[in-house]
Amino acid sequence: MTSVSVRIAAANGDGVESTGAILGRVAANLGLEVVGDRGYQSVIRGGHVWSQVRIGDEKLHDFGDSADILVALNQEAIAHQGSHLSKGAAVIYDPSKTNADQLNGRGYRLIGMPLMDMALAAGGDPKMRNMAALGAVAKILGMPMESFEGVIKRMFSRKGNDIVANNTRAVTEGYGYSGIEKLYDLKYDGKQRYLLEGNVSLAIGAYAAGCKYYAAYPMTPASGILHWFAAHADRGVMYKQTEDEIAAINSAIGAASAGVRAMCGTSGGGFSLMVEALGMAGMIEAPIVVVESQRTGPSTGLPTKTEQGDLLFVMHASQGEFPRIVVAPRGVEECFGIAAEAFNLAERYQCPVIILMDLFLSEHFESVSGIDPGTIKIDRGKMVARASQEGRFKRYLLTDDGVSPRSLPGSKGLAFIASSDEHNEYGDIVSDVLAGIDEHVEMRKRMHEKRMRKIETMLKNETLFVPSIEGESSEHFIVTFGSTTAAARGAVERLRRMGKSFGLISFSYLMPMDSAKTKMALSGKHLIDVECNFTGQLAKVIAMNTGVMIEDKVLKYDGEAITSGEIVDRVLKVLER
Amino acid sequence: MPINFSSGVKPIFCPGCGDFGVYAALTKAFQDLGLDKDMLLVVTGIGCSSSIVQALGCYGIHSLHGRLLPVATGARLANHDLTVVGVGGDGDGYGIGSAHFLHTARRNIDIAYVVMNNQTYGLTTGQTSPTGQKGYKTKSTPFGNIENPINPLAIAISAGATYVARGFSGDPVHLAGLIKDGIAHKGFALIDVFSPCVTFNHMNTYDWFRERVYKMDGHDVADKGAALKKAFEEEETGYAKLPLGLFYRAEKPTYEEQDITLRSGALIGQPMPTKEQVLAMLQENV
Ligand SMILES: Cc1ncc(C[n+]2csc(CCOP(=O)(O)OP(=O)(O)O)c2C)c(N)n1
Ligand code: SF4
Repeated sequence: MTSVSVRIAAANGDGVESTGAILGRVAANLGLEVVGDRGYQSVIRGGHVWSQVRIGDEKLHDFGDSADILVALNQEAIAHQGSHLSKGAAVIYDPSKTNADQLNGRGYRLIGMPLMDMALAAGGDPKMRNMAALGAVAKILGMPMESFEGVIKRMFSRKGNDIVANNTRAVTEGYGYSGIEKLYDLKYDGKQRYLLEGNVSLAIGAYAAGCKYYAAYPMTPASGILHWFAAHADRGVMYKQTEDEIAAINSAIGAASAGVRAMCGTSGGGFSLMVEALGMAGMIEAPIVVVESQRTGPSTGLPTKTEQGDLLFVMHASQGEFPRIVVAPRGVEECFGIAAEAFNLAERYQCPVIILMDLFLSEHFESVSGIDPGTIKIDRGKMVARASQEGRFKRYLLTDDGVSPRSLPGSKGLAFIASSDEHNEYGDIVSDVLAGIDEHVEMRKRMHEKRMRKIETMLKNETLFVPSIEGESSEHFIVTFGSTTAAARGAVERLRRMGKSFGLISFSYLMPMDSAKTKMALSGKHLIDVECNFTGQLAKVIAMNTGVMIEDKVLKYDGEAITSGEIVDRVLKVLER
Repeated sequence: MPINFSSGVKPIFCPGCGDFGVYAALTKAFQDLGLDKDMLLVVTGIGCSSSIVQALGCYGIHSLHGRLLPVATGARLANHDLTVVGVGGDGDGYGIGSAHFLHTARRNIDIAYVVMNNQTYGLTTGQTSPTGQKGYKTKSTPFGNIENPINPLAIAISAGATYVARGFSGDPVHLAGLIKDGIAHKGFALIDVFSPCVTFNHMNTYDWFRERVYKMDGHDVADKGAALKKAFEEEETGYAKLPLGLFYRAEKPTYEEQDITLRSGALIGQPMPTKEQVLAMLQENV
């Protein structure tokens, strides 16, 4: 397999993100595999930003431990990125603007190019230096120049034909620079792949499932979802920007109660505000989907950095007990299918479903080829449209499986009150003046049992609530969840190449957990827990559900996404102990 | 025969509570409008007043303290063929839910919002509320309330509500008219109701209100400045005069009328996407 990591670094506002996105899209169009991530700060202009795009001719697990090609568009890029370079890396820079002396004599291939002159020649905007550099990268990677034209057109057409032409010219200038040559032999099949960020994959998955209402208050890193919904508001999906996250979730509950598939999304801070209403969704049995995209906490934390620190929080948020489903997609492609299925689960079990994302998963992009909208089935769960008997409708009928058929406002003769107070089968409250009276004490007990029975039913009817095992008969296993899975899989492959017997156990669905099956999957193995938080929250959840204690842990909480290389290094240290 | 809007469950208010008058006025307004029970959704918060929904035979959501307006907004945006009415208390709407009050008004969503204003937190056994008057002695203000009461009518007018009225539960027929017109009005309608808490509020009693309330006559409801002036009259007269009736009304496009997604009809009626439509969304990312 051939793979190359290209890192573009500059000041915020220099077009780093679009450069990375164009490179990624071109590669995905050619049929190459792509994983890309970016580093940025909460400022609009200025600040040091980078984008790293890894391109390979086989499935990639992460964006690469270090850069094989660095495009350094300013002096800080040389200063900050020097430590992220692979052995023998190529560094593209403009000697008239940037001094690369500090990288001299370290075995790098320094390519000083007149990027500024090229940008000026191509149309006069110095910002197009990035495009000239992109042309040079394309040449080095052996990508045909034509492959850029369509992508540039699609990405810049809104800005006008001149911009499209100038940018294309700038790429051509860089491509034709005499001081560079093809250095990599990437094999591609021309089978076009989509280039998706986790947030976009999730949003399209929700759309495919018929989600028509998305409510949010802007918060990184969940904002990509609202941007997608807002941009498609003329195509049957509504984005409602609310005054706060409390309103976002409450309005989603209102929309779901009225019969529309509804979702809200935020990060940990906003989710903190949603907690009370989450419990209402549990109590009135409203089917909502809530996205929580984690960033580095606590509090405002590092708004542009990643972490998996909210797992226990989302599992236990809100007072009292009620069924909920928590699922953490393990990659960009899985975001699509999980989002689509989340609405079926929410409606089948009439409970909140929480999709636990994180900044890395939300915002990094990958080439995706495995999405098939034809496989999506819509199951709206138990519903009644017509009254079958005289008298009041029992919305909260005590059933064996805990799920009571629901009616939607507008259906004749099926009116009921959805009460956040404890209630009887009609929805009438048994709290205020009735609390403590024997018959109502009994009703509370039976209604609570009915709701909680839905957990048993989920575990019985669904096969989702167990981890996946790869390499069943291995000696050692990495145990992980959510977005860390891909890097862990890459680490397992590398460890195997080093002659170690390694397998992978990964969780996407985390709540409820099939304790017996999960325990069986984990027992008798040497397990190493890998997750991005300080306390090993997945290990705690596993211990709580199965009694299996994982002693060896690799934990990361510096805000950066974990890579295969880091996992390998740290797992090897664990084995030495 | 008028439609019966009772669920058969009786309201749980204390004997003599002002909220009985609101219940009577509300059901009368529903009847006078000839509403279809199955197309009516009443959303309440938490409080004595909010429990009113338990006694209604239409669809209802008895939601969280302070959150009835966002819940109602979501339901209304999902299915704007429904008539959506919000009902709650002053603590609920002007205290914990005050942000939602402002923003729902500003959006001019077609929801009628009835607030039973008793200057008190009734359900939690009598603390002062955001409309509690200065000097008001309660369990939470044993030395007298030192905060200024807020002016919900002036706030609603300023925030962009397009129908702003005040009624008195001591005059349920007049109140029913205000509620009826508020529901019929296109846009966000606030109907604030003086609704005495006979158990905990010994300052703002029925008699206290009766001495002060009067029905406005000759007031120009289209004049925003005049409406604000009327809304401030209570303060300016040291709460000696409390005008009742319609303060302000304007014809403005509703949120639902302007929303691009709703141009194709109620969300609930819009079809699930086809496989081709999903593929087109994916294809934007090449
Ligand atoms: C988040 C939250 N905080 C506090 C409460 C307790 N609580 C219930 S009702 C209420 C105030 C009720 O006052 P109001 O809304 O004016 O209604 P009233 O009972 O006077 O009709 C309070 C504080 C609650 N239910 N939820
Ligand atoms: S406590 Fe006050 S507001 Fe509550 S029901 Fe009794 S009288 Fe009415």
